[in-house]
Amino acid sequence: MASYNLNEVLKNRKSTQTGDHMALDDVSRVKVLSPGMQVFKRFIRNRLAVFGAGILIFLFLFSFVGPLFYAYGQKQIFYTFQPQNVNYALAKENTGYNGYVTDDSLTVERPVDNAMNSNIKKMIAAGETEMTVFGEEGGYVIREEAPHIYTLSVLEMEKVCSAGESTVKVGTYSMIGKSFEAEGDEIPGLAEAAAKNVKGAAGSFEADGVTYTFEKGAKPKTFDIFTTANGITYEGKEPGGKFEDSLAAAIAAGETSFAEGGVTYVISSKGASADVFAAGEAAPAKIYTNFTVDTYEAGGKVSADFRPAALSAAAGGTYPASFEADGASYTIEQDGEDMLLVRDEAGNEYAEFGLFSIRRYSGEDTMAYDLKKALAAKVEEMKAGGVMSDTLDAEIPMQNEDGSYATDDDGNFILSETTMKITQRLEGEYVINCDQINYVIDMFAPPSSKHVLGTDGDGFDVLARVMYGGRVSLMVGFVVVLIETFLGVIMGGIAGYFGGWVDNLIMRLVDVFYCLPMMPIMIILGAMMDAMRMDTYLRLMVMMAALGLMGWAGVARLVRGQILSLREQEFMVATEATGIKIRARIFRHLVPNVMPQLIVTATMGLGGVILTESTLSFLGLGVKHPLATWGTIINSVSSASAMAHYAFIWIPVGLLICLTVIAFNFVGDGLRDAYDPKAKR
Amino acid sequence: MLKYSLKRILYSSIILFFVMFIIYILMYNMPSGYIETKARELASRPGATKSYQEWLSDLNAQYGMDQGVVRGYLTWVKSAVSGKWGDSWSWTIPVTKEFHNTVWYSFILGLISFILEILIAIPLGITAARKQYSFTDYFTTVVSMVCISMPTFFLATILKYVFSVKLGWFDLSGMQSRNYMNLSSFGKFLDVAKHFVLPAITLTVISIGGLMRYTRTNMLEVLNSDYIRTARAKGVPEKKVINYHAFRNTLIPLVTSLGGSLPSLFGGALITETLFSIRGIGYASYTSMTQGDIPFIMFYLAFISILTLLGNLISDLLYAVVDPRVRLS
Repeated sequence: MASYNLNEVLKNRKSTQTGDHMALDDVSRVKVLSPGMQVFKRFIRNRLAVFGAGILIFLFLFSFVGPLFYAYGQKQIFYTFQPQNVNYALAKENTGYNGYVTDDSLTVERPVDNAMNSNIKKMIAAGETEMTVFGEEGGYVIREEAPHIYTLSVLEMEKVCSAGESTVKVGTYSMIGKSFEAEGDEIPGLAEAAAKNVKGAAGSFEADGVTYTFEKGAKPKTFDIFTTANGITYEGKEPGGKFEDSLAAAIAAGETSFAEGGVTYVISSKGASADVFAAGEAAPAKIYTNFTVDTYEAGGKVSADFRPAALSAAAGGTYPASFEADGASYTIEQDGEDMLLVRDEAGNEYAEFGLFSIRRYSGEDTMAYDLKKALAAKVEEMKAGGVMSDTLDAEIPMQNEDGSYATDDDGNFILSETTMKITQRLEGEYVINCDQINYVIDMFAPPSSKHVLGTDGDGFDVLARVMYGGRVSLMVGFVVVLIETFLGVIMGGIAGYFGGWVDNLIMRLVDVFYCLPMMPIMIILGAMMDAMRMDTYLRLMVMMAALGLMGWAGVARLVRGQILSLREQEFMVATEATGIKIRARIFRHLVPNVMPQLIVTATMGLGGVILTESTLSFLGLGVKHPLATWGTIINSVSSASAMAHYAFIWIPVGLLICLTVIAFNFVGDGLRDAYDPKAKR
Repeated sequence: MLKYSLKRILYSSIILFFVMFIIYILMYNMPSGYIETKARELASRPGATKSYQEWLSDLNAQYGMDQGVVRGYLTWVKSAVSGKWGDSWSWTIPVTKEFHNTVWYSFILGLISFILEILIAIPLGITAARKQYSFTDYFTTVVSMVCISMPTFFLATILKYVFSVKLGWFDLSGMQSRNYMNLSSFGKFLDVAKHFVLPAITLTVISIGGLMRYTRTNMLEVLNSDYIRTARAKGVPEKKVINYHAFRNTLIPLVTSLGGSLPSLFGGALITETLFSIRGIGYASYTSMTQGDIPFIMFYLAFISILTLLGNLISDLLYAVVDPRVRLS
């Protein structure tokens, strides 16, 4: 008996007795495999198990090694250039008048400024070229300087007189001394009448056929007494001459100004009375127009000074007129009836004032001049033909990564062709919409060579998500099964070995945990973690711990059952006889014998845990976005419409889950059959 | 037998007591101020009949969440045992009423799929065992494995995609068509039945695999036993061997396991009902769970746990009934 190791015997025989025939009972006739090798051989004979193992190896490489070689990350957002139908521009006949300040030393009252549009329209309706308006503080003159150009001037003026009915203070009556103090000429009998009638807060009385009104004065117990004067009350020096006749004529004609004796007077009417002022210099403060500027250069902007300067030059009414703005000089000339053309120093066309404005919806003026002209022509054509909508083929700039416009190396815009649809919205107002190529998140892109499984609703690459998701899903499976097995082996081992009340206690605990409904509890936990707004990584930990805690009962039952039968076997008696420590007896002699069953259950359990995890994530109660798991990927397209349209996302992922669980089950089955061939029937 | 049953029932109620205790601890640890927030919300609902204070005192009286865990739990047990399950928060009707409204839909759905499962899985499992290692056997094994491994939500989504979206045969979800109210009573029945088709298929496919494997394994065990060999040696026709000797003995474990799963028919299918919006108890409880409706959750989980324990009891008792060799002690 040299050796009991048959493999070694076999080797020795081979080296010493090659070629010799063997006896029937020769030990070398038996080829002996180690137990591990035997299990392995039986395992690989099972085709389904090998298939499963192959899939698992592939999945592990795919999930854990794949991302290292894959170009995209799980949270990398992809963008694309995509035509989007947008309301691109609004074409409108400009009917409103905008004011530009020409002299900022003068202030224009806001109510006057606000009323400019209606005042100008009033002037146009009445066919007037000049209009005087009054604010709280002074008078202003609106003057039409040239077609569509109006100036608003601040009028210097001095009050001459009040005409018509006016209230005049005649005196003050004091209750204390019962005295009357006249303001101007004494009116006989008034003091007595006042003494008799004045009482209370305010009122009126008559004396000599004249009506007087009184009200409380500035000092206590005094009353101011007024009368209504009809006629002209002068403020200071009377102009004399034919002034009063001219004034009466002007008031009768309803005019706002008249000239007399080389002085221009303006009339500010308030009801039945009017104030008359001698007008002085009118200084232009603002210039109003309904012209809009279009520069010839696309996207060009004119400065704040350009418009008032140009308009002031145009207001002269003689063309061409020259002006300076921003240190450059320009000339402005008429171009057709309702259009002004601005040329720069070199004589090139620089900008244009027109009545028809075409502006982007964003408010920016980035449209090319030619496009504006083409659109304007089209709108004219529509107007003439009475068409409500029409189309125009045009080229518009593409958008860039950061939302600005893409330019080529020479700084020109990169253009894309589109068909513009012009629709009349209101009288004189046209909406232009077209497909604009924008740089947008590449959502739900179908599979292509760039994205093998397409992209999802966040512009993430689905294949990358599937890889990283596989990591989490497989990791969850392993961690949970590890926790389960660890707890199960310890509890089951203790219960099985010691028996008695320890066994009883642990097994009752097992019963309780066996009865706990896992899915509802996981859903409640998920909802609770939602309410706490827990961090997604923490959620993952909690979920794994909870699943592990709830799954150990099955393992403990298995281990206990095995140990109960093993405990009675001879080798355990031997360990007791040799005095091996209890811990070593359980964990070195008993547990390794349970290992085969443990491995089988753990393998099968892995599939189950992956199913549970993906179901929870699918319901949105497990791992959360942006962390990817297979369940969350499907969850992102679980709504009815997304499900119908984006089958390329959820079908591969669902199949992958299925395949993984099948593979774990096949391998588990194969392992069980390999460990215990008798069990295979 | 009676003594054994009584002992088991007592023992099960103790387990139930502790199971509910664990669940109560979970509820007790809901984010802080949850009960107060809930009471305020319930009181401010349109049509609320109770004020905030009333709700709060009601909730505390019933769930004892203002006391310690143990005392609170005992408060809950006391009111639960006396049948006071309270008003559901998300359904705003008494919990038991919501239970009555929903449980029968779940039961019908469960029963349909249970019958289908038996009709499909058992014959297939027996065929597979009779022709072991044949193509049929491999095919059945693979199919059952696929069924076991299929996530419910994926299967449901595929069925919806194929039959609702692509073919347009069924509605995507829900229990009634749009014109349900205009139908005759038979038409209403057919309409609801139509909406139960996809959920029933889902449930059947999910559960079929396990039973098929179980049947096959047991049939194989029986076919390898001595009395079958004896029967064959005697020259009993193969048909009779299978149908009389083998099948009857296969039934022993099958009946016990199927009998044990009978109570769970009332438990509803959480995921399937939710995905197809069937107003069964599974859907109701899912909604309650996501909304933190403690009264309904406590009731539902107690109900489920009772069903589980009842199932175990039934299968143990059936085992003794079906197999005369087993004696209960």
